[in-house]
Amino acid sequence: MVSVINTVDTSHEDMIHDAQMDYYGTRLATCSSDRSVKIFDVKNGGQILVADLRGHEGPVWQVAWAHPMYGNILASCSYDRKVIIWKEENGTWDKMYEYTGHDSSVNSVCWGPYDFGLILACGSSDGAISLVTCSGDQQWDIKKISNAHTIGCNAVSWAPSVVPGSLIDQPSGQKPNFIKRFVSGGCDNLVKLWKEEDGQWKEDQKLEAHSDWVRDVGWAPSIGLPTSTIASCSQDGRVFIWTCDDLSGNTWTAKLLHKFNDVVWHVSWSVTGNILAVSGGDNKVTLWKESADGQWACISDVNKGQGAVSSIADGATNEQ
Amino acid sequence: MEEVDVEPTTTPIPGFDSNQKHLGFVWGPGDILVYETIYKASGGSAGGCPFVHEVRKDEDIYSPILRKLFNESHHIFVGLQRIREDLPSKNKKPQFVSISKNYRSVIRACMEELQQVAVYHNDSLGNTLLSLELIWNLCEVLFIDAAPAGSLVLHLLDWVRLHKADVDEKAREVLASESPAEHQAYWDVVISYVLQGRMDEARQVLVKQAALQPAARVMFKLLDNLLMKMPIFNPGETQTLTEFDVKWRHWREEVDHCLQDQSFASNRHLEDICKILVGDEDVLLEYKELLSTWYHFLVTRLLFSHPTVKPTELHYYAQSSMHMFLDTRSVPEPLDSILLAAFEFDIHQVIKDCSIALNNWWFVGHLTDLLDHCKLLQSHNLHFGSNLREFLLLEYASGLFTHHSLWQLAVDYFDHCPEFGRVYLELQIERVPLDTERKALKVIRICEQRQMTEQVRSICKIMAKKALRNNRLGSALSWSIRAKDAAFATLISERFLQDYCAKGTFSDLDLIDNLGPAMLLSDRLTFLGKYREFHRLYGEKRFSDAAKLLLSLMTAKIAPHSFWMTLLTDALPLLEQKEVIFSADQTHELMFCLEELTSGKSVPTPDKPMQDEDIETTKIELLRLALARNLAMAIVKEGTVEI
Repeated sequence: MVSVINTVDTSHEDMIHDAQMDYYGTRLATCSSDRSVKIFDVKNGGQILVADLRGHEGPVWQVAWAHPMYGNILASCSYDRKVIIWKEENGTWDKMYEYTGHDSSVNSVCWGPYDFGLILACGSSDGAISLVTCSGDQQWDIKKISNAHTIGCNAVSWAPSVVPGSLIDQPSGQKPNFIKRFVSGGCDNLVKLWKEEDGQWKEDQKLEAHSDWVRDVGWAPSIGLPTSTIASCSQDGRVFIWTCDDLSGNTWTAKLLHKFNDVVWHVSWSVTGNILAVSGGDNKVTLWKESADGQWACISDVNKGQGAVSSIADGATNEQ
Repeated sequence: MEEVDVEPTTTPIPGFDSNQKHLGFVWGPGDILVYETIYKASGGSAGGCPFVHEVRKDEDIYSPILRKLFNESHHIFVGLQRIREDLPSKNKKPQFVSISKNYRSVIRACMEELQQVAVYHNDSLGNTLLSLELIWNLCEVLFIDAAPAGSLVLHLLDWVRLHKADVDEKAREVLASESPAEHQAYWDVVISYVLQGRMDEARQVLVKQAALQPAARVMFKLLDNLLMKMPIFNPGETQTLTEFDVKWRHWREEVDHCLQDQSFASNRHLEDICKILVGDEDVLLEYKELLSTWYHFLVTRLLFSHPTVKPTELHYYAQSSMHMFLDTRSVPEPLDSILLAAFEFDIHQVIKDCSIALNNWWFVGHLTDLLDHCKLLQSHNLHFGSNLREFLLLEYASGLFTHHSLWQLAVDYFDHCPEFGRVYLELQIERVPLDTERKALKVIRICEQRQMTEQVRSICKIMAKKALRNNRLGSALSWSIRAKDAAFATLISERFLQDYCAKGTFSDLDLIDNLGPAMLLSDRLTFLGKYREFHRLYGEKRFSDAAKLLLSLMTAKIAPHSFWMTLLTDALPLLEQKEVIFSADQTHELMFCLEELTSGKSVPTPDKPMQDEDIETTKIELLRLALARNLAMAIVKEGTVEI
């Protein structure tokens, strides 16, 4: 069902912790325990190193691309408690901004929807979540939510920019009804929803279902339905799908997707939000899809292993 | 969690060598990334794998042979959607059948092209296409054309004949040989024709044998007669099914008599043919090799034992045929299950099995769409009803979107998915790389046609940013105007003005001169436009208009303060003209402006180099002088009474 079409040799000297394609799939950013962030041009199956960014003093955990309308901008977060925002100007990549407001490893960064401007959410092991906003040329505003999760925050993910369902009601030409929301998961076993009201961030919902640290959360892209969907995974081996049907966002119901035998580290939604990828400690990545009657089914397993995989590309056969 | 009927496929990723490592996974906009990593509760690790793999879900999209399939079927699909809903169904059936045939001919065209290219490792693709056409054809016969009893067997015969073309090849070979009747494959050809119900051709070939054996002429004539007289149902005629049935039974009895009479006992081949004609299953099975498939066996069986079979009776025969024909030990292939499901009229199962067996959604998407138009899905009371159609089409179209040119086809498919098509399109179209202006314009046009204003704005902003990065100010400006992005327009206007101050000329004059109402997007842009107008007026020697405009730029606060010095300096040549251009009042206003400007500058800045200070002071002195002189002349001029 799937075949490997390209392998990029990043030359990282240590473990890779994250890899992200840019918006169009033409560039790849990787980060590693070797403290570097690398950017490659991967158009047409090639790999050209565009930048080798040094600036972190510890393993770099995540990278995130901002929306192309702001230019080529990449954020990275690291064990060294720093969040660095890099920008490409005149063909070269440089540090655009460095945020050092956390007391402990920053574990997750996520850019908000482009309609909100350039805004980055950062979750840290010091339990706080920072919202870093670009308010003008080289001007950055910081809003910090202290003690968002006791012990530490492991993941943050933004809600899509339009309040679900409101697109149908808006007369064209008017600005849609924006409410800034995001979800976070932490070492307090909780999944929390945050909403901005009158310029302040407030805890909107507390979702309890996990019995161990929540490792990752993902808010599904909006497909125009009045439903909001969030996936969360935890060290307790469970993956939950949370849905909210009403526009006010108050009643969330949890559905257990699956109980795995090992820690589940990552969940991520596909671009159209109809497939959820779950990365587990059992060395496999499983893909899940919701069928029309609301049930979730596993559609494919992608796992590591030995053996030949033949990949067919335009008539040529190569064996790897 | 739903129970899946089949175990999901596991795809191993090559190269990961240790059991200690985990698999990292990331969605790309099109492809997927996987890499080796270790997840741990705390940080730090030792050693790692530097490889990141790009994994693709659907390789078929990139096959150049299938490109034709996707393009042409897209054309057919769009035509199908346009068939008017209000026409009664029975008028539409011939149209649907014709569309079905079109789809099939596209598949066949691909197969032919493959054969011409004759690349041997595309055999699997060729076989797949063959199977696809086989299945589609059967679906057309059973579901779309929905042949009733009588015609049903005839249609199935056509179906089998179409997919067993090797008979004709063999026949040609035999007939072309020196002595056809002695050819090794002679009897194979005759029997194959009989098995396919092609009596005329069988008779023609038999004649060759008859010629060789004059002694057995009577026997051959008898068989020839029987073959000729075999009743074939003709749906066009007024004969009813019952009448046909009677006639057929008569004929069958006649054949049976011949068998009982041992008329053909001396020639084993002729006797076998006779036995086939009465539908003797054991004999049929002896010719397994010629039949080659259980469904050929099925159709032949029906032809000779139950030609008036009703559609609802098919599945009994299908199941038994399959069991009789196939080795009891062998596991049925996916193709067999699919065909069986079709014979059982279980459309849902056919679609499901095809979805699982095939690598991409092309087949099930288009077939389901056609069946939905024929209103066949609803009558089967599916879980999903028409949602199944949309579900499959969305999958197919989403897959197309990853391709650098096929994505344009996908747009039409999304257009015809009423529930989620639009939002899927909105999400996907933003990911189309905007490599060139032309491509960006193409994407924008698609969005504009569908009133996707947010996407248009977003794309324009991206293009503006890109142009600015490449120092193409004019392009950046026109994109930000199109995006109605005031902030960016201001930024670019500033750049234009900075460039002017540095170089003394404007670039992209055409653009600035023809801004029109777009000028009002941002104050800075308005100023840029008006300032350029001032230069134009000056160039055309319309000095008083230019002067008026220049003044208004400052008094109406259109010009930013930082630019006033430049404007006043621009006023100098006007002030130094022999003719008085600025009136007394205007001169006063200019003086006010100058004062306003200089009062702010009264505090000397320590970090400004001495030279700049000097230049500044000199300029101001010059201006004051020129203004004073002009004021004097203006007062005199206005005070003078012309006699």
